[in-house]
Amino acid sequence: MLNIYEQVDRNKRKSAIIMVLFISFIATVAWILAQALGYGLSFVGWALVLSGLMSFFSYYFSDRIILSISGARPASKKKDFHFYTVTQNLIMVARIPMPKLYVINDSAMNAFATGRDPKHAVVVATTGLLSRLNRTELEGVIAHELSHIKNYDIRLMSLVTVLVGIITLLADWFLRASLFGGGRNRKEGGQITVIIMIVGFILALLSPLIANLIKLAISRRREFLADASATAITKYPEGLAKALDKLSKDREPLEAANKATAHLYITNPLKNLHGGIGWFAGLFNTHPTIRERITALRKSI
Amino acid sequence: MSIITILIIVLVLVVVYALSVYNSLQTIKTRIEASIQEIGNQLKRQASLIPNLQESAKGYLKHEKTIYKNLTDARKAVDEAVKSKTGSKINAAAEKLSAVLPKLQVLVESNPELKADNVVSKLMDELRDTSDKLMYARRTVIDLTQDFNVRLVTFPSNIVANTFGFKKQKGIVTPMSGKHVEVSAAETKDVKVKLD
Repeated sequence: MLNIYEQVDRNKRKSAIIMVLFISFIATVAWILAQALGYGLSFVGWALVLSGLMSFFSYYFSDRIILSISGARPASKKKDFHFYTVTQNLIMVARIPMPKLYVINDSAMNAFATGRDPKHAVVVATTGLLSRLNRTELEGVIAHELSHIKNYDIRLMSLVTVLVGIITLLADWFLRASLFGGGRNRKEGGQITVIIMIVGFILALLSPLIANLIKLAISRRREFLADASATAITKYPEGLAKALDKLSKDREPLEAANKATAHLYITNPLKNLHGGIGWFAGLFNTHPTIRERITALRKSI
Repeated sequence: MSIITILIIVLVLVVVYALSVYNSLQTIKTRIEASIQEIGNQLKRQASLIPNLQESAKGYLKHEKTIYKNLTDARKAVDEAVKSKTGSKINAAAEKLSAVLPKLQVLVESNPELKADNVVSKLMDELRDTSDKLMYARRTVIDLTQDFNVRLVTFPSNIVANTFGFKKQKGIVTPMSGKHVEVSAAETKDVKVKLD
């Protein structure tokens, strides 16, 4: 039995460990690929700039982009009393400013939060979710979303995306260079160069995949942390557990969502209707399974 | 590696271990205080919310009772009149009915039952929300106090805190001992529910 404080501590620790592993992986692969290419670290710099530029706009304007894609309307206290007042109350304990609230007209149950920092945050919920959850369960869900904002998860995932982008670019350049005979010719040849080339080749093929898998693992770890932070706010894990229970029984996929936005939602909106996701396919999940999350919540007091 | 180096390394490890245990004990102690204050938070919410909800529910039930009573009276009069078969009684019953019928019509047409239900349920929503707002505001105080107090007693921040004279914050003042954190012998007994 873990208490609420320990849950948060433990999740923060696991999240930090995986971030360290991730950054070490990125740094190692980037170094090897740069060496193999023969151009050194300047290429890594270029990859960083390019990757950063590509991700910058989607990160900076994440709130506006998502709202235009999803067709959401602003929420009001009159029309959405519980949604509005619950958020008003929880931001006190979360110690963040009031985010902009929006509602998507869809009978599928889901909610998400986005925004580059707590001052530009947005929380969106579907009419399906708002009508089917009672106030206590809604508190759990909103607390989870506010935790994402408070923990700067959107910013973190954007940075992770940039880092994955660096590796993808470097790998791509390396493969092109070796196929089209680019790269500086090394005057000192020998076995080490050959080994580095071979290792570089394997890494160039595998590292984008591995980097993405680690990115998804980070995403799952942050989901657990958001669940733990939510219970630190509400001091009532059963609220969120019951909400997740109801969400797991809702088989309807959310029309407004697609693969690009799936990771922002409280549960994967692209429902696995055929069931039986194997372990390997599970590695590609942006969220932990609902069963796992409910178990973790009910383990805390 | 000389013996002295090994001994120093062991000593450093022991000190680091002892410090981390000290810090975690102090942190947990502060958290215990915060969680007892949370009990006080919930008791306070309960103390104001439950009586208010009770009164709203009573008001609604009374409204329902009056309509029900009128209907029952009218029906009794009709039954008696039919049994007695006397003209005057039938007239009286008819009059009673025609007095209730418009009220019933109003009931059926404008659905005041539903209306009263909606008004009362909105009131109860607002009552709960107001209580929640106070609860979360108090919780903010408890959390901030805990964050502050932890730094006062863990190493090395306690050195800085003491140097500048920072004092322990009170938070939501709740007695650390008392009935709310005790289980009496009577409470440990099995509870039997009786509904009559």
